[in-house]
Amino acid sequence: MSVRVNPDLLPDLLASIQQSQSNETTATGEISTGRMVNNPSDNPAATAAVVLNHDQSSQDAQFLQNITTLQGRFQTADSTLSNVVQALTQAVSLGTEGATGTLSSSDRQAIATEVQGLLTQTLGLANTTYQGAYLFGGTNVTQLPFTQDATTGAITYHGNPHTSSVEISQGNSITANVPGDQLFQNAAGSVLGALQDLYTALNTGTNMPAAVTEVQSALSQLDVQRVTYGNALNQINLSESFLNQDQLNLSQQENTLEGADLSVVATNYSQAQLAEQATLSATSVALNQKTLLDYLV
Amino acid sequence: MGGLSASLNIAVQSMLAQQGAIETTTNNIANANTPGYSREVPNLEESPTVQLGTLTFGTGVRLGSVSSLRDAVLDVRVNQETQQQGQLNAFLESGQQIQQLFNETAGTGLQTPLANFFNSFSQLASDPSDLTTRQNVITSAQDLATAFKQTSNNLTTLQRNADLSVQQSVSQINSLTAQIAQVNQQVVSATKTGENAGPFEDQRQQLINQLSNYVDVSEVDAGSNGLTLTTSAGAPLVVGNQSFALTTQANPATGFQDVYDNGSDITSQISGGALAGEIQIRDQEIPSVQNSLDTLAFNLSTSVNNQSTKGYDLNGNPGGELFVPLTQVGGAAAGLSVAISDPSLIAASGTAGPTNSGDNSNANALLALQNDNIVAGQTPLGYYSDLVFKIGNDVSTAQSTQQAGSQTLLQLQNLLGGVSGVDINEEAANLMRFQTAYQASAQVATVINTLLQTTMNMVNPA
Repeated sequence: MSVRVNPDLLPDLLASIQQSQSNETTATGEISTGRMVNNPSDNPAATAAVVLNHDQSSQDAQFLQNITTLQGRFQTADSTLSNVVQALTQAVSLGTEGATGTLSSSDRQAIATEVQGLLTQTLGLANTTYQGAYLFGGTNVTQLPFTQDATTGAITYHGNPHTSSVEISQGNSITANVPGDQLFQNAAGSVLGALQDLYTALNTGTNMPAAVTEVQSALSQLDVQRVTYGNALNQINLSESFLNQDQLNLSQQENTLEGADLSVVATNYSQAQLAEQATLSATSVALNQKTLLDYLV
Repeated sequence: MGGLSASLNIAVQSMLAQQGAIETTTNNIANANTPGYSREVPNLEESPTVQLGTLTFGTGVRLGSVSSLRDAVLDVRVNQETQQQGQLNAFLESGQQIQQLFNETAGTGLQTPLANFFNSFSQLASDPSDLTTRQNVITSAQDLATAFKQTSNNLTTLQRNADLSVQQSVSQINSLTAQIAQVNQQVVSATKTGENAGPFEDQRQQLINQLSNYVDVSEVDAGSNGLTLTTSAGAPLVVGNQSFALTTQANPATGFQDVYDNGSDITSQISGGALAGEIQIRDQEIPSVQNSLDTLAFNLSTSVNNQSTKGYDLNGNPGGELFVPLTQVGGAAAGLSVAISDPSLIAASGTAGPTNSGDNSNANALLALQNDNIVAGQTPLGYYSDLVFKIGNDVSTAQSTQQAGSQTLLQLQNLLGGVSGVDINEEAANLMRFQTAYQASAQVATVINTLLQTTMNMVNPA
């Protein structure tokens, strides 16, 4: 005698229909969001990894924003210094012209006035601001870095000798400024001092060749300092392309973690649909099945 | 020898017995779709024989009893599975809602506000004297505090809902145990008087199965087909015709309702049914998540405050605490708030005095906290990502156990259906058999009637 089976087939069939419907819902959800992981419980490890992935990506975005700020600042600083170089070059030729010895005193003083203009211009450049902050005051960015005493003509630096560093990618920082005293009053060649000396030399007609040499050495010293900004610009450009690439990698990694393979999902969906149709037709057969009673008339 | 009248009696008894069997079959067919119904079988048995000299004569058939077919072991297994399903379903119902608060794949959760908070320090380091940048630090800190507060409040709401469900489950349990006690008594009296207790047992089993949805029930045979029901930890629910109502009482420490039986606190002993799932959510799952959030909020704000006070603000004065200092871990997430409203007071500088507005060294130090192991030996994001994993994993584990359990339950119900379910074909065949037997007995009665006529005509010839 065979084992008596449950005569009620419906619970099994209904459970099977529910299973197919739930599979269809899952597949529909995956297709519409494009993600396999729509709840943390779908894949807890992937969700935890996505948290770190999103964080990394958002840090990268912030680094890129910092880079934009720095780019503007560095470009302004670099072009400011290039203007200073022009002024110094002009001062050298004026000084050379004044030092020839064939000039009259009044002609030399006219040249001296021109040098005085260059000094004022350079002083203005040394006090350049970017977005309201002084570029060459060290970390003292709210106080006018250089002032000239109206009576003695002495130039005072109010900034400090500090630099600040800014992170431009994970663990990679860059120096964000060169202090003004290092640029304009460097012991190895003071830009402002040389211009003042040249002015005095032309005015008095003494020590003129020495003053010209002093301006020349200030010029070469400034060129050395200027390289810092050029290098910094290169470095942040490199960092920028690294960050863009990293963001791309992160978004690919995110896709690997939680993205749905659409061909697989589509197959799952049609399989669930097929299974549901098969169960439905089995159910309708089971419900319409004749019993012995139908034959006992 | 019984004679013709004895034979007539046998035929009539048989007709009565077959009629009873047909009645039982009809009842089976009628109840084929009744939930909890166990099919009944008519137990036909030989009537006692009579001894006449050396001869033994049968005296026909009688319907000895009608009994319900059930498998007590399967019943208990079905109840056990039902208890587990009840527990997991209750756990999942709240668990799904908890994980939605941390659904990072959909962008919900603390990752974004946490990242924005640290990014605001990164931005501050790139432009420390800018007031907009400084204001952004305050705004991000406020957003972070709000996110912590909202998540914590949502968890508390879910916890209160679970507490409400506990009370509702307890009142369902009490209503069911009261009904079971009554039916239990009916089963015992029917059994004692020799009646068919089957329909009462069906009803009792049906009620115990419903009770299993809410609480872990353990059955002990109390004799005469009676049952004693306790929780699996032994707290009495039904003894004989008496039910023991569970009560709830507010726990002074948590404010939530503890479950009492007979004066003793059994809250932590409930191990099955919806009640267990609700208590698990209310007393373990949510407090654990809440504690992780509090730990994160407390350690993060404490470290940020410490670092802030080491720095100097835009005016060169010593920096103040960015967050209102928290005194304890408990309630830290809900209590997090920002102390500074003036952007110039953000301690970005690492050097004292007013001539360092462009100094960003403390901003860099604040930013570096995101990679420091400041929360229980982990970075803030690392700790948070572990929390998200735990929440997802708890739900995922419950889901797979629930799915496996529902398959088992289906199997058990099929096995039980194999024993107790009504098969229309089988009943139809039985109906045919009993009909034929009834017809045959009726025919026999007719024959005997003819014989009696013949005999009477013999005595009184025309």
